[in-house]
Amino acid sequence: MNVKIINPFVEASMAVVQTVINVKPKLGKLSTRSEVFTSQSINVMIGLTGDAQGVILFSLGDEVAKHITSTMLGQEIKEFDQLALSAIAELGNMISGQSLMILSKSGAKCDITPPTVIQGKDIRASTLDVPSVVIPLTIEDIGLYEITVSIK
Amino acid sequence: MAKRILITDDALFMRVTLKNILTQNGYEICGEAANGKESLDKYKELKPDLVTMDITMPEMDGITALKEIKAFDPNAKVIMCTAMGQKNMVIEAVQAGAKDFIVKPFEPDRVIQAVGKQLAS
Repeated sequence: MNVKIINPFVEASMAVVQTVINVKPKLGKLSTRSEVFTSQSINVMIGLTGDAQGVILFSLGDEVAKHITSTMLGQEIKEFDQLALSAIAELGNMISGQSLMILSKSGAKCDITPPTVIQGKDIRASTLDVPSVVIPLTIEDIGLYEITVSIK
Repeated sequence: MAKRILITDDALFMRVTLKNILTQNGYEICGEAANGKESLDKYKELKPDLVTMDITMPEMDGITALKEIKAFDPNAKVIMCTAMGQKNMVIEAVQAGAKDFIVKPFEPDRVIQAVGKQLAS
């Protein structure tokens, strides 16, 4: 997996998060994982098809999710209901869409699937032999939002 | 009489957001669809003045639904509202008859401007 594919996701994540919640996130150090492991409680999974094939995973904790969705919905979210979940899933969708827009400039033709939301604690997911790159975004006063890109 | 709009998006968040923006600006939301097939069925049933259409949806995607709606009613006014803003996607939608193409995330004014332009009477 090369930098040409990862950079659009980094760029898109930063730009969309900033647009959606009006806070510029801080980009942490990218890391690689041969197995996807997340201990975050809320995960949005979006499939990537076409010239690049794989999975994009957006992970965050309950409190971070509540903060983000409160901003997105313009009201305080105390309980994580269907509407809040939908907002978090849509954030993942928008980041994916923008990543593809940037990617398409280099000629890559890709598509994404509708999102799947997985909630729980200490979820362990494996993409088997497909390597993953983790893009960590820290949103000031809110917390960590991780984007894991796993492409064959 | 208020102009009637059919909102199509698989995300509840998006349907709620668009409904708020549009009703605050005097439009009536006559229906909501969570995928392209539902949108096509509701279009035939409700005959809205305008449709907002997402692209990435289960069951039937927005480009297919756009084509089906236009086949049913060549005068249908459909505005794409999607995260998939690649050039080839925009071209395909416009060639299939979409009146406008809004990329998410969007400013509410962008939606109001696009809808207003189509429904100016």
